[in-house]
Amino acid sequence: MIDFTTDELLNRALTALEDAQTEEELTRWHRAVLGRSGTLNDALRALGSLPSEQRRERGQQLNGVKDQLEAAFAQRQDLARAAALDSRLRAESVDVTLPGRRQAVGNLHPIAAMAREVSDIFAHLGFQTIEGPEVELAEYSFDMLNIPKDHPARDVWDTIFIRSAGTEITLRPHTSPMQIRTMLQQEPPVRVIVPGRTYRYEAQDATHEWHFHQVEGLAVDRNITMADLRGTMAEFARQIFGSERKVRFRCDYFPFVEPGVDMSIDCPFCAGRGCRTCKQSGWIEISGAGMVHPNVLTNVGYDPTVYSGWAFGMGLDRLVMLKYNVQDIRLLYANDLRFLGQFNRARL
Amino acid sequence: MLVPMRWLREYVTTDLSTEEIAHRLTMAGLEAESVTHIGDEWNNVYVGRVEEVEKHPDADRLVLATVAAGEHRSTVVTGAPNIRPGQTVALALVGARLIDGQTDDVRWMTLKSSTIRGVRSEGMVCSEKELGISEEHEGIMVLPSDAPVGAPLREYLGDDVIEFEITPNLVHAFSVIGIARELAAVVNASARAVLGADLATTPMDDTLVDIEDEDLCARYTLAIIENVTVGPSPEWMQRRLTAAGMRSVNNIVDISNYVMAEVGQPTHPFDADRLSGGRIIVRRAKPGESMVTIDHVERVLDEGMLVISDAEGAIGLAGVMGGVDSEVTDGTTRVLLESASFDPKTTRRTSRALKLASEASARYQRGVDPNLAWTALERFVALLREIDPAAKVTAVADAYPRPRGRSTVRMPYNEIERLLGMIVPMETVLDILGRLEFEVTVEDAVLGPLLVVSAPTYRSDINLPADVVEEVARIYGYDSLPERLPTGGAAPIRREPARLVDRVAQDALIVSGLQQVITYSMIADADLVALSPNRDHVPDLLGGYPRPESDYVRAVNPLRADWEIMRPTMLPSLLKIVAENLKYTDRVAIFETARTYQPVSLDELPEERRGAALALCGARHPVSWSVAERSELDFFDAKGTVETLLARVGASASSFTAVEHPSFHPGRCAAVSADGVQIGIVGEIHPRVAANFGVAHRVAMAELDLEGFASTLLATWRVKPVSRFQPIRQDFAVLVDQGVAVVDVREAIAAGGGPLITAVEPFDVYQGEGIPEGKKSLAFSVTMSAPDRQLAEHEVDRIRGKIEQNVRKRVGGTLRA
Repeated sequence: MIDFTTDELLNRALTALEDAQTEEELTRWHRAVLGRSGTLNDALRALGSLPSEQRRERGQQLNGVKDQLEAAFAQRQDLARAAALDSRLRAESVDVTLPGRRQAVGNLHPIAAMAREVSDIFAHLGFQTIEGPEVELAEYSFDMLNIPKDHPARDVWDTIFIRSAGTEITLRPHTSPMQIRTMLQQEPPVRVIVPGRTYRYEAQDATHEWHFHQVEGLAVDRNITMADLRGTMAEFARQIFGSERKVRFRCDYFPFVEPGVDMSIDCPFCAGRGCRTCKQSGWIEISGAGMVHPNVLTNVGYDPTVYSGWAFGMGLDRLVMLKYNVQDIRLLYANDLRFLGQFNRARL
Repeated sequence: MLVPMRWLREYVTTDLSTEEIAHRLTMAGLEAESVTHIGDEWNNVYVGRVEEVEKHPDADRLVLATVAAGEHRSTVVTGAPNIRPGQTVALALVGARLIDGQTDDVRWMTLKSSTIRGVRSEGMVCSEKELGISEEHEGIMVLPSDAPVGAPLREYLGDDVIEFEITPNLVHAFSVIGIARELAAVVNASARAVLGADLATTPMDDTLVDIEDEDLCARYTLAIIENVTVGPSPEWMQRRLTAAGMRSVNNIVDISNYVMAEVGQPTHPFDADRLSGGRIIVRRAKPGESMVTIDHVERVLDEGMLVISDAEGAIGLAGVMGGVDSEVTDGTTRVLLESASFDPKTTRRTSRALKLASEASARYQRGVDPNLAWTALERFVALLREIDPAAKVTAVADAYPRPRGRSTVRMPYNEIERLLGMIVPMETVLDILGRLEFEVTVEDAVLGPLLVVSAPTYRSDINLPADVVEEVARIYGYDSLPERLPTGGAAPIRREPARLVDRVAQDALIVSGLQQVITYSMIADADLVALSPNRDHVPDLLGGYPRPESDYVRAVNPLRADWEIMRPTMLPSLLKIVAENLKYTDRVAIFETARTYQPVSLDELPEERRGAALALCGARHPVSWSVAERSELDFFDAKGTVETLLARVGASASSFTAVEHPSFHPGRCAAVSADGVQIGIVGEIHPRVAANFGVAHRVAMAELDLEGFASTLLATWRVKPVSRFQPIRQDFAVLVDQGVAVVDVREAIAAGGGPLITAVEPFDVYQGEGIPEGKKSLAFSVTMSAPDRQLAEHEVDRIRGKIEQNVRKRVGGTLRA
C-alpha cells in the first residue's frame, strides 16, 4: 500500500476531480475517492496500524481532507448539473418564427355582430331591445301604420305574402310592425329597438337583397321631440362611425311618420369631401325617421295631443357595408368563409 | 319625373344653378335622383342659316350647302333630303363631338374636314340623332326661324333635366308648375300662373256628360273642338316632351301630354266622330264587359272599375287608358277632350288588376285636385290655338257635383315646438306658410296663439297639425334643429332571456371554433325532398315521417322557386353552404342561430322557434406543421359541440339516444334530449343526402330547438366546495356485451361509488384479441375523493367492490384485472 501524505492524497484527489466532467465521471470519482472502499476509507482503515500518537493526528487530517473533498465534489456536481441542463435546453431550441398552435375560434357573422353593437349602444341610451315575428299580419305591416289598402304608399314596400285562408299575412317588409305591437302592449313611456330579418319582393343586385336585416327604434312619451331624434341618432352614428360624424336631416316621406326625414351622416370615408362611396355628395343616408304619425298613435290608443314620439328604421346590412367597405350586399349572404373570416377582431 | 329646367324656369325666376335647385328641393322633400345635361357635348356647334344650296358637281344625291353662323361660314357637303335655303339649322364645325348617325348604337366621333367626291366639306349640318337629342336621323334638324343665328347651339337648345322621385304624398308636385311652386316657396320667389284660354263665352252644355257614380268621379269637364288638323306638333314641344321622357305622337296627343306634365292634370282626347249618342257617361263597368285599350289589348272589366262610356259601351278606362276605337288618328277632325278627376283607390285597383300603369294612373292614384280639371282644359285650348289656329271650341261641359273647398287645420302655435323641439318665430311660420300659398289667421287662446291654417285645394296631404309642422320644418330647414337626448325616465332595460339564448348559443359555438353564417330563411320544396336519401318522402326534423306539403309556411308570390317555404329546418341551408365552401377549403365548421317556422293554421301566424344548427365537414385540424394527424370531423365533434352548447344554455340533464332518421347515417345519429324532452338531433348526414347537396365528404350536423332555454338561462345554480384532500384515481376495465351502451356502464360505475366518485371518464373501447367474441372491453378512469378526509385504502377497496357489484347487476359486466 502506498503511503501518501494527507496533502498528497488531497492534491491527487482534487486533480482527479478536475478531470471529471460529466455527472457519470463525477460519480465514478466519488466512488473511487470517497466511497466505502475508496482511497480515503482505505487510508482511514490504515490508521489502525499506526502508533496511537500518530493515529490521532493523522485521523484528524484525513477527516479534514474528507470534508474538503466532499465540498469540492458538491460544487463540481452543481456545475456539472447546470452544464448538463443547459446543454439539454439548448438542444431543445426551436424556430420561434414557426406559427403558434392556435385553437380554431369561430367568428360572429358581421350582421349579428352589428346587431349586438347597435343593441348595446341603445341599451346605454335607455332603449330595450325586443324582437317580433317575421311572418306578420298585413294589419300590422301596413294598415295600423297608416298605409291603408289601395294606397300608392303600399307600392314602396314590395311585399312577399304568405298563403292564408283570408287574413292577409306578409313577410314583414320592415321592422316597423313592432311599433304597433309594442304600443298596443304597453303605455308610454316607450323606448325600444327592434333588430331582425325583413323581406321584400325585390330583385337582387349589389345594393339590394330580398332578405335583409333592419333595426327599428321607437321612443314615445310626453315631450319627445325631433331634436331628441337628432341627438339620439347623432350619438349613435358617432359611436359606430367615429366621434367626429355630423348628421343631417332632410324632409322625406314615410306614411307612419309626420314630419318625416331621412338621416345622413357625413361620409366617413372622405369626411364629407366627396368620394365614390358617397357618390361625390359627401353624405350617406343611413336611416329613415320622423315623428310617429298622429294616426298611428291614435290607432294604438295613445292620445296624440298628449304624447309624441319618434321612430327610425335602419338597414343593419347597410351599416355593415358602410363600416367595413363591403361593396356588394350579396357577399353578406354568400357565407364564403374567406369573407367571413375577415371579421375576426373583437367587437366593442 | 323628368323636369327640363328651361320649362321650370318659365314658371319661376331664380339665379340658382341646376345643381343648387336639385339640392334645395331635395332637402325640402323633393328628392332629385339625377341631373342630366343636354348639349354638354356640343362644342363647336352653332345656330346657322342655310344661304345657298347647289348641286354637287359629281354626285346626284349630294348637295353643297353654304351655311353662315355669325363669324363662321362654311361649305358643307350633305345628303340630307330636306335641306333648303333660308332654313335655320345646327352647324357643326371641325372638332365638334357628334354621334355617328349611320349606326344603330351610340358611337361618338370627332368631326374632321374631309373631301367628298372632290369637294371639300368643312362642317356638317346635324340631324337630331347626331346631336343626341332624339333617334331622328333621316334629315337635318330644322330650327325655328327666330333661332339666334351665330349663337352656340348649347346656349339656344341646351338644357338640364332633373329627375325627381315623386313620393306618394307629393301629387301637388307631380308637374312642372307644382315643382315651380315648391321652388318658389324654397327660394322665396313667386311662381307664375299657367296661361289658359278664356272659355267663359263658349256655350256650356251640361247634357254632354252624365256622372253615374259621383263617389268615383268628383268632376268631369270636357270641350268639343271642331275643325282640328292632326299633324306633327312643333319642334319646341317635341323637344320638351322628349326631354321630359315622353314620345311625340301627334299634335293633339302631344298637347295632352304636355298639359299633364306642366299642370299635373291628365286629359284625354277622344275622336268625337267615333263616339255614339252624343253624350259621355261615367259609370262602373258591367260584369264581363270588355274593351280594347289603345295598346291593342282586350281588357275584361269588372264592377270595381270605372269606365267612360258612350251610348254603345266603354270607350275608356277612367284614369288609366283610353280605348282604341275612339283614339285620335290622322284623320280626326272633331275632338272631345276630357279633363276629369277620378277616385284614387278605384284608379289604383283598376290599374293593378289589369297590370296597366300609365302616367295618368300614376297621378290619379295619388289624388288629383278636381279644381285642376278646368285649368287643364283651358291650358289645352290655349296651346291648341297656338299650334292649330283653325281649331274651334264649340261647346264645353263641367259636371262638378260637390266642389272641393280648402281644408282647415286649427292648431296651437306651440305644436311646432312640441314636435320639433325648437322654436320657429311666429313671423317666420307665417312667412313660410304664406310662401306655400296657405292662408293663416292667428287667434288668441288661453294657452297661447292658435293658428287657423287653410291649405290650397291641391294640398290634399294637409289634414293634421303635424302636416303643417312638417311644412314649416322642411322650408325652414332641419339644419338648425338642436341635438338633444330624450329626457324623462323609461322602464328599466331588461336583458331579454329569449335574445340572450341566441347570444349565449352564438358565443358557445364560436369558442368551439365554428363560424356563424346567416342564410336565407326560405327554401324550396326540392330542398326538403333532397333531405331524404330515396327522395321519396320529406323527413321531419325530429322524427322523420312524411308530412303533407301544405304543412309548411308558404309564400304566395315567391321571388324564385328556390325561396318558397319559410324553412322548418336549417339543415338544407347549411348543407348548401358546406358544398359551396368545400370548393375553396378542406375544412368547414359553421353554425347558424335562426328561427324555424311551423304552421299553426291557415289564418294564424306560424310559430317561429329559435334554434341553432351546425355543420362540420373535412379536416379536424387545419393544416399545420405541428399536427401530424389528418383525421376527419365526425359524429363526436358535432356531439361535443352540442354538449358544450347545452351546458352553456343551462340544460341540466341532457341525453343522447341512438335513433334512425332518413337524413342521417343509420348508425351515427342521436336524438338529443334535455330534461326528458327531445329538442334536436345530431349525427352524420347520410352520404346519399350529402350527395343530393353536392357534398362528397362526411358531414356531421346537429339542429337544436333552443326555445325552451329562455327560462333555464337566467336560473341560478349551486356550486360545491372542492376537497382539499388528494383525490384517488383508478382505472377500471369492464368487459360487457357488445350491445351495451357506454353511457349505461358509466352510470353503473358512478352509481356504485355514490357521492365519493367525482368523475368517470371512458378512455378506451377495445374489441379483438384477448376479448371473447361478442364482448367489448371498456376502460374508465375513475376519480374518487371525499370532501372532509383523505380516502383510506379500505374505503377505496369498498368502492371498488360496489362498482364491481353494480356493473354486474346493471349491465352484466365484469371487471377485468
